[in-house]
Formats: sequence, structure tokens, C-alpha cells
Amino acid sequence: MARWGMVIDLDKCIGCQACSTACKMENNVPHGSPEEQRLRRDIYWNKVIAVTNGKYPRVNTQLISMPCMHCDHAPCVTVCPAKATYRREDGIIVQDFRRCIGCKYCIVACPYGARSFNSKEYDEKEYYRHDAPPDRGVWGQWPFPTRTHGVVEKCTFCFHRIDQGIKEGKKIGKEVVPACVEDCPAEARKFGDLDDPHSEVSRLLSSRGWVRLREELDTKPKVYYLPQ
Amino acid sequence: MRSLEMSLTFTATEGKSRGFTILLTTLAAVAVVGFSCFIVSYIQGHEVFGSSNVVPWGMPIVVAIYLIGLSAGSLILSSLTYVLGREEYRPVSRVAVFLAIVLIFGAMVAIALDLGRPEKTWRLFMFFVLNNMRSMFAINTILYGGYFAIGLLYLSFIFAENSKLTKIMGTLAVVWAALVHMGTGAIFGFIAARPIFYSPIKPFEFLAAAMASGLALLIIVVVSVFRFTNRRFNKEIVFSLSRLLLALVIVLFVMVFVDKLTHLYSPHREPTLWLLTGPYSWVFWGLQVGCAYVLPLVLLIHPRYKRTLSGVMGAAFLVVVGIFGERFALVIPGTAYPLPFYPGKIEGIWGAAGSFPLTPIETLMSLGIFALMGLVFILGLKNLDLLPVDESGEQIPARAKEG
Repeated sequence: MARWGMVIDLDKCIGCQACSTACKMENNVPHGSPEEQRLRRDIYWNKVIAVTNGKYPRVNTQLISMPCMHCDHAPCVTVCPAKATYRREDGIIVQDFRRCIGCKYCIVACPYGARSFNSKEYDEKEYYRHDAPPDRGVWGQWPFPTRTHGVVEKCTFCFHRIDQGIKEGKKIGKEVVPACVEDCPAEARKFGDLDDPHSEVSRLLSSRGWVRLREELDTKPKVYYLPQ
Repeated sequence: MRSLEMSLTFTATEGKSRGFTILLTTLAAVAVVGFSCFIVSYIQGHEVFGSSNVVPWGMPIVVAIYLIGLSAGSLILSSLTYVLGREEYRPVSRVAVFLAIVLIFGAMVAIALDLGRPEKTWRLFMFFVLNNMRSMFAINTILYGGYFAIGLLYLSFIFAENSKLTKIMGTLAVVWAALVHMGTGAIFGFIAARPIFYSPIKPFEFLAAAMASGLALLIIVVVSVFRFTNRRFNKEIVFSLSRLLLALVIVLFVMVFVDKLTHLYSPHREPTLWLLTGPYSWVFWGLQVGCAYVLPLVLLIHPRYKRTLSGVMGAAFLVVVGIFGERFALVIPGTAYPLPFYPGKIEGIWGAAGSFPLTPIETLMSLGIFALMGLVFILGLKNLDLLPVDESGEQIPARAKEG
């Protein structure tokens, strides 16, 4: 069984937020109003944080794109009382909205802030966007056509694409990648099988030094960063 | 000792006075308002609450763990009579057991109302079938549910005056109550991602806080119920309870001191300093340290105040308020402290501490939970034989502090 992982090259990343936007379009995640952003209730499956080191004028700003880390030892899976979040055999941590009771324990336990609580009833117009390009139609029905409030949601590594790609016999990581990888203009993101020695991600990880976020918590994330 | 046991009979209050009716109506009205607020939150979503993705747990969770603490403490103290045979506490022990059941009921209501999908609460009770039993929350559901059932059985054996079964059930209930509160502490203490929560001492700290606040509440309830129903009672009971309260407050204070001192060392130094000096420091120092530890210690050690009923009542009231502050100072700042995703200074909202605005819907819903419990409690006093028989008139004009 494959073990899907992602490599984000911080050398190539230009911080354009295309990944966040692509994710929002692909997975139908609502935009969030400025008011919601102020109250920090807007939903992000992929966020980009800006980290500065040093003192002006000698300061270095890094833009770190953070999807769900899909940890091998995921704290959210441990704490979920309802088995609503679980680890698939291919290592993807998914969230089952039908099982989720909305206790928010996983949000408390996640060290990466990858999880968002859906705290309001959405209007049709807030998630149905005519501006989305029509070629999204090749992936068929959006997996999340509407949203139910009161559940926790998060990045899925676009498992609907992967599952459909495998069914159609396509090469995952080359022909079929998650939306954020596909839309990255700098090609800073790579997706593939971490257990396959010939995959692009394995090649990158063996050729350069890499970091994973918050190693001290022993969560064993499957999103790797290639530092600048 | 035997004769004292024989001489005590218990009865219900009549509940026909004007004061009782007014109290009943007020509590019912507040409970209905609270329920309406819950309906609003259910339809509109949790945007009507103060919680967010940064501070996911708000007032209902603070209230829930506070009530669980009060309940466990109250039940453990009832065991003084039924398990350890301390007869001097017998007049208050029935109330203690009933209060414990009401409080755990209120706590479960609070947790259920805080769920995003409250209609799926049943999923929590599918033990081992649909539950992930590695989750502290799922383990605690067994503890809470069992605790409620054991409490009901315990009370029914007490009513049946079956002293042998009562003793067995009382012992089980005490062990279970200790587990309940330690489990609640473990919900927080086992979360490695939140430095302010993460501590192996948390279960024991919760247990100590539970017993201190439960005892303080019991003192308040007993004194006010007995006084307002014009019953005679031995003041020595209250003073011996207050000595126990002093011991528990000291234990709790030592535990919190050790916990915070450990956290002041690396790697949890920054979040702890933020808790002690940041925007929520007034809750920590004012409510938790001031109201729950320092002032009650002064009152309970002071040679004059410790021998007066008002001094002991004041200390008990401060402990009950202060432990609420302790819960607040754990839940809200514990999650509000920003997560260090990446080494360096995280700019913008992702590196900012969360805030928790008190919203009217959330506050009224929490008050509604308290009112619901008060309603159940006074209806219990009316319909169950909880209080010792006394010759004078029986009425409950007002209960000092609800809960």
C-alpha cells in the first residue's frame, strides 16, 4: 500500500497563496468574511503563514504553506471519541462528517492548527461559485457540494482525486495530484508515495535536507519541507 | 451512635409557600430562556458563541468541568457517613448524594449542548462499538454514564434504608467519583500540543479541586437550606467540614504551585509566563489564586473567623467562585496561546493569541443549565425525603448560590 506524502520546497515557494485558493475551490471551502477572519472562524484547509526571523532591516520572512500534515501518529485520531477522524490504509487522515459529533477535541489536540470548525449555516451563494473554472468538472461531482455546520473539517490530500485516479489506472503523483500541487505556479509542491523509492518525493527527500514541523511532539508528519 | 441513626428521619419540604413558587417559576423561566438560546445556536451554528478555531472550547465546557468537580466532591463527602460511618455528617449526607446526581446531570447537559451536532450525542455512548476507546473523552463517557447510574442506585439504596447495600454502593461511588474527576483532568492533561494543559499532575489537581469545591458547595447548600427552612443543626458539623476544606485547599494550592513551577522551566516556560502575566492573568491571580486559595486560607486559619458561621460561609463561597475561575483559567488561556508552527515570529492572525468574547447566547445558555439544575434540585427537595425532620415550618425562599 502506498503511503502518500507531500514535499514543499521553500526555496521555490513564492507565497502566492495559490494553494489556499485552489484548495478552497476544489473542496468548496467557503471564503470567509472579514468579520469571520477577525474572529478566526473562517475555514482553512490549507493556510499560509508568514514567519519572520531577525530585526529590521536585517530580517528574513519565510512563507510556510501548511496543509494538514497527515501525521502517522496523529493526535487528532487518538482523541476523537467517535472514530470520525481516522487513518486510512494509505496514510491519509480523513474526517467523516457523518460521524463527527462536533466536540472539537481534535482542534484542541492538533499541534498544527490544521482543523477548522464549521460554525455557521452557509448560504447557497457562499459556496457555489460561478467563477470556478469549468475544467474542474473532470473530477466529477465535488465531494463536498454543501456544508453542514457543527462539524470539524480539514484537508484530505484530495483523496477523491487519488481514489478516482487509481480507479482509472493513472499515475498518482504525476498525472493525478491534489489541487494545491496542481495549481502551484512555482512547482514548489510535490506529491507522491513515500514508500516508493522511485517517486519524485523520495528522490527529493534523499537529495536534500528536509524538516518536518514540530518534530518534538513525535507526530511523524507526512508533509516535508525543503528549507531555503 | 446507633441511637442517633435511629432518631434521624428524613422528609421532603412541603413546597407550598409563596417563596417556593416564585423560586420555581424564576428557575423555570431562566431554564426556558437557556433552552431557547440552545435552539438558536443549533439552528445558526456556533457562530453565536464566543468560541472560534483558536479557542474551540468556551463557556459550556468551563461550566461542565466545573460541575463535574462539584459533583464528585459532593459525592465523596457523602461517603463519610455511609462508608466511614461518621454519624455526625448524617443529616447532610442525603442532600450531598442528591446534589451530586443533579450536578453530573447538569454537566452532561452542558457537554451535550456544546457539541456541534448535539443530536449525535448517542454516538458517545456506543462504548467499544462506534467509539475510539483510546480517546480520553470516550473513556470519560463511560465514567460519566456509570457515575450517573451508580449515583441513582446509591440514592435509592439510601432511601430503602438498606445500610449494607448502601455501604457497598457508597464505596463504589467514591472510587468511581475519584476516577470521574481524574479522567476529566486527563482530557486536558494528556494533550501534548497545549503546554498549559499538558501535565501529568492534572488528574490529581482536578481531584483536589473537585473535593475542595464540592465540599465548599455542600457547606453553602447545607447551611442555607437548613437556615431557610428553619431547621436546627449542629454548628460543629460545619466547623469540622471547614477544617476538612482547609486541608483540601492547602493540597490543591500545593498541586497548582508545583504544576506552574514545573511549567516555568523549559520547554513550557513561554506559555506559562503568558498565562501568569498576559491578558488572562487577572483570572489566574484574581479568581484562581485570590478567591480559591489565598482568601479562603486566611479566613479558615484566622482564629476568630474560623469559629464563626459567616467566616466559614464566606470562605466556602470564595472557593466555589474561585474554582470556577480556575476552570476558566485552564480552558480559555490553555487554547488561546498561539501554537508555534514554525521557529521564528509568526506574523498576522496565525501568530496572535486567541480571544474569547462573552456572547449573550452562550452566557444565557450556561445560566439556563444552572437554572435547570436548581429546578431539579428544589423539585427533589419537594418530592424526596432528603432533609432531616424538624418541628418548625418548612419553606425555601431562596438558595444562595445556584448550582
